[in-house]
Amino acid sequence: MNAPALPADVLEQLKTIVGEQRVKTDHDSLVTWGVDWTKHYEPRPSVIVFPASTEEVQAIVKLANTCQIPVIPSGGRTGLSAGAVAANGEIVISMDRMNKVLSFLHADRLVRVQAGVITEQLQQYAEQQGLYYPVDFAAAGSSQIGGNIGTNAGGIKVIHYGMTREWVLGLTVVTGKGDILHLNKGMIKNATGYALHQLFIGSEGTLGIVTEAEIKLTRQPQDLKVLVLSVPDFAAVMPILHAFQQRIDLTAFEFFNDTALQKIMAAGHAARPFETESPLYVLLEFEGRFEAVVDDAMSIFEHCMEQGWILDGVMSQSQSQAQALWHLREGISETIAPFTPYKNDISVLITHVPAFIADINAIVAANYPDFEVCWFGHIGDGNLHLNILKPANLSKDEFFEKCKVVNQHVFETVQKYNGSISAEHGVGMTKKDYLGYTRDAVEISYMRELKKVFDPQGIMNPGKVFDL
Amino acid sequence: MKVLVAVKHVVDYNIKPRVKPDGSDVDIAGVKMGINPFDEIAVEEAIRLKERGVATEVVAVTIGKANSQDTLRHALAMGVDKAVLIQTDVEVQPLAVAKLLKSLVEREQPQLIILGKQAIDDDLGQTGQMLAALINAGQGTFASVIDVKAGEIEVTREIDGGTDVVALKLPAVVTTDLRLNEPRFIKLPNLMMAKKKPIETINAADLGLDISPRLKQLKAADPEPRKPGIKVANVAELVEKLRLAEVL
Ligand SMILES: Cc1cc2nc3c(=O)[nH]c(=O)nc-3n(C[C@H](O)[C@H](O)[C@H](O)COP(=O)(O)OP(=O)(O)OC[C@H]3O[C@@H](n4cnc5c(N)ncnc54)[C@H](O)[C@@H]3O)c2cc1C
Ligand SMILES: Cc1cc2nc3c(=O)[nH]c(=O)nc-3n(C[C@H](O)[C@H](O)[C@H](O)COP(=O)(O)OP(=O)(O)OC[C@H]3O[C@@H](n4cnc5c(N)ncnc54)[C@H](O)[C@@H]3O)c2cc1C
Repeated sequence: MNAPALPADVLEQLKTIVGEQRVKTDHDSLVTWGVDWTKHYEPRPSVIVFPASTEEVQAIVKLANTCQIPVIPSGGRTGLSAGAVAANGEIVISMDRMNKVLSFLHADRLVRVQAGVITEQLQQYAEQQGLYYPVDFAAAGSSQIGGNIGTNAGGIKVIHYGMTREWVLGLTVVTGKGDILHLNKGMIKNATGYALHQLFIGSEGTLGIVTEAEIKLTRQPQDLKVLVLSVPDFAAVMPILHAFQQRIDLTAFEFFNDTALQKIMAAGHAARPFETESPLYVLLEFEGRFEAVVDDAMSIFEHCMEQGWILDGVMSQSQSQAQALWHLREGISETIAPFTPYKNDISVLITHVPAFIADINAIVAANYPDFEVCWFGHIGDGNLHLNILKPANLSKDEFFEKCKVVNQHVFETVQKYNGSISAEHGVGMTKKDYLGYTRDAVEISYMRELKKVFDPQGIMNPGKVFDL
Repeated sequence: MKVLVAVKHVVDYNIKPRVKPDGSDVDIAGVKMGINPFDEIAVEEAIRLKERGVATEVVAVTIGKANSQDTLRHALAMGVDKAVLIQTDVEVQPLAVAKLLKSLVEREQPQLIILGKQAIDDDLGQTGQMLAALINAGQGTFASVIDVKAGEIEVTREIDGGTDVVALKLPAVVTTDLRLNEPRFIKLPNLMMAKKKPIETINAADLGLDISPRLKQLKAADPEPRKPGIKVANVAELVEKLRLAEVL
C-alpha cells in the first residue's frame, strides 16, 4: 500500500489537536480504519485521527479545509456501501473515542450520547433505565450511533418502530465548513423552520460530522413471541402479512429462503426449526402480553394454513427459544460473508412487492441460472436483500463483472416500481452509479447544491453518494 | 413402556429475578413463567423415546397452583399423551413433591420416571433422588445419555471431571442434565391442539399425605455486586497487581 503521505506539518498539527497517541499512520491502523464491511476497495487513507470532543473534531475539519485534504467520518465500519471507506489518501476521523453516554432526562425519556457510542451500548443503557432503544440489527454489537445516523439505519423492527430517523431528536454536528451546530435540541415540537437535523440523518457523512445525538427511548416490549412459518411461495407472503396486520401489531416481519437456511445449517450456526421443508420462511414477532393476542395469532395462523399460505410453523415458548429462532434470520449476513456475496438492498411499496419479486426472480433465473441466490430481508417494510453467492471457481473480479450486468436489470425493475436502490444501507460508493434509478437528475442537482451550503470546499467524504 | 415426566412451572430463566423489598423472598408477581428448562429436556427425552418406539405412553405431571397448567399445556404441545395436575396452593418442597409423585407412580405404574436435575427457581436438586428412595428404584442422576435396553437402562451421568455410566433395572428414576438433548420448538398446530386437550386435576389434599413444608427460608438477598475492575498500564504493573492479590 502506498498511501499518499500527509505533509509533515499537517501531521504535526493533527497531533497538536488530538495528542500524539491519537494519530495513527502505521500500516495496520490504516488498513483497519480505512475500510468498512465491504471489501471491494483497497484502503488508502493517509492518517487516522481519534478526537475526543466536538471541539477537536471542529479543529480537524478546519485544518482539513485550510489544507484542502478530504476527511471521512468513520463509525463502527459495519457499513455495507463503502461509505466509510478511505481509498484516496483521506484523513479518517474515527469516532471510537467519543463513546460516552452523556446524560439522561427521565421525564423526556431522552438520552444524550456521543456519536461513537455502540448501538448495543445504547440498547443496554436504555434497558438499565427500564426503557428500550428499538433500532436493532445483526451489526448492532459493532455499529455506532453516528454511523446509524449516517446511514439512517433500519433493521429488524422497522415495521413497528421505524428507522433511526424516528428516534433522533437532536444532533450536534460539525459542518464541512467547520461550524458547530446544535440542531433541534431534543424537542418533539419545534416549528421554527427547516429541520436541519433530519438532513444529516442518512447523509453518509457528506455534509458534516455528527458528534453528539439526543435519542428518544420508549417502553420495553414484553413477552415477545416469535413465529417461524414455512411458506410455499412468494405469492403467499403478502397475504400472511396482511392477515396478521389486520389484527395484531407486528414488531417484525422478516423472510428468508431455503438457500439461506441451508447455509446457516451447513455452517453449524443453527438447526432446522422443524422438519417441514419449504422454499421460503417467514419470521414474525409480536408482543404476547395478553392471552387474547396469542389466541388471535393462533387463529390467524389456522386461517392462513387453511388458505394454503402456510405449510407449518412454530412459536417460541421462552425468550431463549425466541432468540434461537431469531438467529435463523440474523445469522444469515455473517454466515454468507465468506461467499463474498453480491448484495442488493432494495425496496418498493408493499403493494408492489409480489410483482416486483416475480420480475426479479425472472431476471435472476435468466442471468444466474447456476448461481446460488440467498433472499432475505425485512419484507414487511418492502425491503429485500438479494444476495448472490460467488461460486468457488470464479475469481472475485469475474464474479462482480457478471453481477454488474444484472444490476442494471435489477435497478431498472426498481425504477419501474418507483422503489429504492438502497433501502437502508446507503449509497456510499457501491450504489453511486445507480442513484439515478431512484432520484431524478433535478433532485440530485438540489442535493449537490445543498452539499455546497454545508461543505463549500467539498472536503466531506467526497466521492460518496454522488460526484460533485 | 410407560414414561412419567415431572415438570415444574417456574420463572422464565431469561428474567432477572428481583428480591422483595422486605428481603423475605424473590418477587415473582407478574413475572413471566414457563416450564423449568431441565424439565423441558425431560419431556423432550420422553417424547423421543416414544418416537423411537421405545416408550408407549408419556404422562406429564406437575404439582402446584392452578396456573401450572400452562406448563402442562407446553408438555402436551411438545407431544406428551396425558397431563396431570396435582393441585395445591401450599409451597411444596422436594420431599413433599417426591411423596406426591410416589402416589402417582403407584397409580400409573411407569417403568421410567424422568425429572429435571433441579428446578431453576429454588435450585434444590433433590426431588429425583428422594423419589427414587421412596419408591425403592434405582436412580441415574444428571443424565447426558439415556440408552434403553431390555429390562434395564444405561444412563451416562455428568460428574465432576468426566462421565459415569450406570445400568439401572426398571422401573428407574432419571434426572436430566443440559446436554441430554435440545428440546424442539413447538408447532402451532400442536399448540392449538394442546389447548383443547383435557388435564386431569387431583387435589393434593385428597391424597392424605403430609406435604407441609419442613424447611424455613430465612431471607433472600441480591448477590454481592461485582467489584469494579482496574486498568493497568503495562505488563509489569499487571504482574505487580497479581502479586498483591496473591494470585501469583
Ligand atoms: C451483519 C450486518 C448486518 C447489517 N444489517 C443491517 C440492517 O439490518 N439494517 C441496516 O440499516 N443496516 C445493516 N447493516 C449495515 C450497517 O451496520 C449500518 O449501515 C450501520 O448503520 C453502519 O454503522 P457504522 O457505525 O458501522 O457506520 P460506518 O460503516 O462506520 O459508516 C457508515 C456511514 O456513516 C458515516 N458516518 C459514520 N460515523 C459518522 C458520524 N459520526 N458523523 C457523520 N457520518 C458518520 C460514514 O462516513 C459512512 O458514510 C448491517 C451490516 C452488517 C455487517
Ligand atoms: C382554532 C385553531 C386551533 C389550532 N390548533 C392548532 C394545533 O392544535 N396544532 C397546530 O399545529 N396548529 C394549530 N393551529 C394552527 C393552524 O391550524 C395550523 O398551523 C395549520 O397547519 C395551518 O393550516 P392552513 O391550511 O390553515 O395553512 P395556512 O394558514 O393557509 O398556511 C400556513 C403556512 O403554510 C404555508 N402553506 C399553505 N399551503 C401550502 C402549500 N400547499 N404548500 C406550501 N406551503 C403552504 C403558508 O404559506 C403558510 O406559511 C390552530 C389554528 C386555529 C385557528
